[in-house]
Amino acid sequence: MSNFRIAGKGRVNRSRQVRFTFDGVDYTGYEGDTLASALLANGVHLVGRSFKYHRPRGILSAGSEEPNALVGTDRGNGRFEPNTRATVLEVFEGLKTESQNRWPSLTRDIGAVNDALYMLFSAGFYYKTFMWPKSFWDKVYEPVIRNAAGLGKAPTAPDPDVYASRFAHCDVLVVGGGAAGLAAALEAGRSGASVILCDEQSEIGGSLLSEPAAEINGQLAWDWLEDANAALAGMPNVTVLPRTTAIGYYHQNFIGLCQRLTDHLRIVPEGAPRERMWKVRAKQVVLAQGAIEKPLVFAGNDRPGVMLAGAARTYLNRYGVKVGNRVVVVTSHDSAWHAAFDLAKAGVEVAAIVDVRGTVPTQLAAAADALRIRTLIGWTVTGTRGRLRVSSVRVNPVGAGGKVGSAETIACDALLMSGGWTPSIHLFSHTQGSLTWNEDGQMFLPGRGKEDCCLAGAGKGRFGLKAAFEDGAAAGAAAAADAGFGVEPPAYHVEGELSFTGVTGRELPTDRDLGHAKAFVDFQNDVMAKDIRLAVREGFKSIEHIKRYTTTGMATDQGKTSNINGLAVASDALKRPIPAVGLTTFRPPYTPTSFGTFAGYNKGALFEVTRKTPIDGWAEENGAVFEPVSLWRRARYFPQGGEDMHAAVARECKAVRSSLGIFDASTLGKIEIVGPDAAEFMNRMYTNAWTKLAPGRCRYGLLLGEDGFIRDDGVIGRLAHDRFHVTTTTGGAARVLNMMEDYLQTEWPDLKVWLTSTTEQWSVIALNGPNARKLIEPFVEGIDLSDGAFPHMAMATGKICGVPTRLFRVSFTGELGFEINVPARYGRAVWEKLFEAGQRFGITPYGTETMHVLRAEKGYIIVGQDTDGTLTPDDAGLSWAIGKTKPDFVGKRSLSRPDMLAADRKQLVGLLTADPKTVLEEGAQIVLDPNQPVPMEMVGHVTSSYWSAELGRSIALAAIQGGRSLQGRTVHVPMPDKVHSATITGMVFVDPENTRLSA
Amino acid sequence: MLLANHPLPGKTIPGDTASRLSIRAAEDTARFSLRIDPAAVQAAGTAFGTPLPTRIGGMTATGGRSALQLGPDEWMLTAPVAESDGIADAFAALQEPHSLVDVGHREVGILVEGEAAALALRSAIAFDVEAMAVGSGCRTLFDKAQIVLVREDENRFRIVVWRSFADHVWGLLQAVSREIALGI
Repeated sequence: MSNFRIAGKGRVNRSRQVRFTFDGVDYTGYEGDTLASALLANGVHLVGRSFKYHRPRGILSAGSEEPNALVGTDRGNGRFEPNTRATVLEVFEGLKTESQNRWPSLTRDIGAVNDALYMLFSAGFYYKTFMWPKSFWDKVYEPVIRNAAGLGKAPTAPDPDVYASRFAHCDVLVVGGGAAGLAAALEAGRSGASVILCDEQSEIGGSLLSEPAAEINGQLAWDWLEDANAALAGMPNVTVLPRTTAIGYYHQNFIGLCQRLTDHLRIVPEGAPRERMWKVRAKQVVLAQGAIEKPLVFAGNDRPGVMLAGAARTYLNRYGVKVGNRVVVVTSHDSAWHAAFDLAKAGVEVAAIVDVRGTVPTQLAAAADALRIRTLIGWTVTGTRGRLRVSSVRVNPVGAGGKVGSAETIACDALLMSGGWTPSIHLFSHTQGSLTWNEDGQMFLPGRGKEDCCLAGAGKGRFGLKAAFEDGAAAGAAAAADAGFGVEPPAYHVEGELSFTGVTGRELPTDRDLGHAKAFVDFQNDVMAKDIRLAVREGFKSIEHIKRYTTTGMATDQGKTSNINGLAVASDALKRPIPAVGLTTFRPPYTPTSFGTFAGYNKGALFEVTRKTPIDGWAEENGAVFEPVSLWRRARYFPQGGEDMHAAVARECKAVRSSLGIFDASTLGKIEIVGPDAAEFMNRMYTNAWTKLAPGRCRYGLLLGEDGFIRDDGVIGRLAHDRFHVTTTTGGAARVLNMMEDYLQTEWPDLKVWLTSTTEQWSVIALNGPNARKLIEPFVEGIDLSDGAFPHMAMATGKICGVPTRLFRVSFTGELGFEINVPARYGRAVWEKLFEAGQRFGITPYGTETMHVLRAEKGYIIVGQDTDGTLTPDDAGLSWAIGKTKPDFVGKRSLSRPDMLAADRKQLVGLLTADPKTVLEEGAQIVLDPNQPVPMEMVGHVTSSYWSAELGRSIALAAIQGGRSLQGRTVHVPMPDKVHSATITGMVFVDPENTRLSA
Repeated sequence: MLLANHPLPGKTIPGDTASRLSIRAAEDTARFSLRIDPAAVQAAGTAFGTPLPTRIGGMTATGGRSALQLGPDEWMLTAPVAESDGIADAFAALQEPHSLVDVGHREVGILVEGEAAALALRSAIAFDVEAMAVGSGCRTLFDKAQIVLVREDENRFRIVVWRSFADHVWGLLQAVSREIALGI
């Protein structure tokens, strides 16, 4: 296997070999390599197939902007990740990687037929090719295109990794650890400000890692870097975060940082998080993200072996890897010349430097001459050859007036290109800061910002190390000063600067037909210059429309390498200057970020809060089947001996009606309302009258919204003249408390009354059945439970089983019932004691499903099931709960609106099916005449429907237009099997005289 | 008296060997929510037997009783469990209009201690925990759970959280303590 590693060059740890595989082939790299540098060191350029045309693709860049070299990585146990950029993936022992978008293999790919059919896949092909027939949209086009095009394959197994998150506050956040960022962090750190410095790479240093020959203040760059890192490590006020990408910049200097914690480790400690999302609130932000090199746009610029010149320089200087043995450089910018010089000095043959400019700085030409490199000034590149790797480049002179002369072919195994540099303004763009076009540099620069942030170095167009250091130091000092810390930035002395002049243009001039040139602008989304020209010809003028029509800049790299080239081509085609064409908006995240990082700790058991009552453990131990009710989990039924839900519920219902059932009602919302104006507050909130309710008595309370519709209900006990114990529905607890607080604070601040949530102070055990009193009597102290002293809807405080209780005699089943409130920590013990003592009555635990059946048999509504936010008290048959003489209550005025009094409003009624065995579907629609043509007129719907073991038949509640006046009428309920008929009845199916309540 | 039942699955998270972090369920306390016009704060302090703080976030403590002001007219009072009835009786005699509600069982306490305590809390609390003054407290969010956070000492925090949210807070602290123990 070929070895492209150069002795004595680079920073990788040559004493630590790392073995990894790519497409099943074993390779060796070194600690400190990325997958890209390690593959290049082994002579591998071909790493994937492209998105649309399945063209062979190589490694374009050496950083996070990489559009081409996307691979699948497998870290074992379902840890598969598609679309990982080989240029940022650190190799570790045992790493398994594979190429994407190819079948059966990377070198022989069937999908490459798309490349030959490229005329079919022109701009907007989605909209043109696949318009008809319509029936093909979801059956043929969609699946075929999804299969043929696309990037990588999604993992199928659940992500087994854990993720972390952390909030941080600092005075100065510095994004980017290159020359500018380091200088900024050093100054801010010296000032005493708290500083966070983050950089997406594994090592802090940015471009300094690729500049070993530069001298900074008399030190070689890497020595200076080592000292700078040591200085930062010695400052307790500075946190340095390598492998940490600033992914998004949000309001008020809130920045998301994604830190990669363990992917690069060979052995990951058990339970260690893979990535951490830092949520940083910074007083000041310094953005020092550097610049991204632009490719040149010419035919065949996407062939493996064609790469950015700066990347080739990084592979050489940082990783000690030569990208080829015979290299050609094509450029419109000085910096690529330095790549040629460095490679030549390292012993690589540089066949030619092609510069499309008419003149170049004399010192560059002189340096090339000294290294005996052929220079072709004022030439262009018009094509490349080579099936899976570039083998030659076609170059032509460009004469006066732009006439392209005859071609010459130069053999090479790598072609390095540079179209200049684009300042990385993505994060600044997230802040909605304005951008201004710099005509000299042909780049967008940050304009007016909206956040407390500044940019420094190449990220704002200040190229060169000295400029970056001094700009960074000034920015760091200024940010620290704005955060309240003073420091004077120093000057930097730099030797060995690169030259940074150049021009930017559209496609390179060619002697061939531009309309057939495969000159790529967006490598990741396979968009060519001619696609953009076609879009303009078809009438697209805005860059936002051109972007969406051609998909340029829409891939996961967000056009980091393509935006400005695409814009230049569009500008040329539109004959309008670039700033008039505009720039598309960058969105977070800056680079692709795993879902796991966004989820953080909230996966598995921590995905969402699961609220459990104090009695939940008992229910679990006794085989309860649970159901979620808002954030709570509640026991739904307690199956015994293989019972299904139907059998269990029938048994539980029977036990309650015949003897005794026990039910955990702890989730009921509870609010304690206290103060001299408590009764007045209750009068204003609830529809009912409260003034005359005596302490020690309860009342059903109905709560409306301002619109007059039912919002909540519950039994409310009066503990004292100035103290009420309010219960709400389980799901409504927080909402009702908020609504009450809202009225109290904004409408009636004069009332002397206070609200306290006591939902979780009390465990609530509901005992229902004819034997309920007999069970608790021996355990209760201080309360006379006789029917005379403690009738239905009475409440009292006392003790049960030796602990304090608020005892309510209420019933949601129609049977004799008690709700025993005990302090939460004693709930389970009291429950167990009562359960044990209740054995002689065959006490039966029941769940929410049985509770629903029992209450429906009595016609008691459940707010949110039988009501849907459009029912008035009268609609629900609850007019009796309205205090008619009260001057006001929330919703009162709305109840007198004419449409609230209409006779044909939907009203709750009972339904009995003609076939007693048919249980209607809840939500089923109701019609009066089943023989109408479709669409039929629907007059209502079923709200609750159950099998009633007590009655030996089904029962249902329904909301039907004018339902109460249609008693006895037959209606029809279409269901999937057939149309069922049912008779409208009253809502109370069991014990309409309420004799059992006072048993 | 019956056996009290606590929601937290274990009682402690030992943390790492260097003891930079230890987390445990706090002892039960008597706890009341007091709502009263701030003009009557002195009378309330007399009833409680400890003067109440007069700045939101402020705390006072004497003889095992402590008071934390959570809002303009809201205080959380804590005391040893056995003193619960006495406190209720004292406030029953207070003439000023007020609301005293026993919330002793509503919440549980979790103590987060050690050098890494603030770091652990930063995993799920959005405000600047490091900058919180010793001897202050506030109502805030821990991940998705409402809590009251008290900084009892430089390296000791108390989380007071509703019972049914305690599992969630505890589970999150367990995850966080793992990464802190690993130094990751």
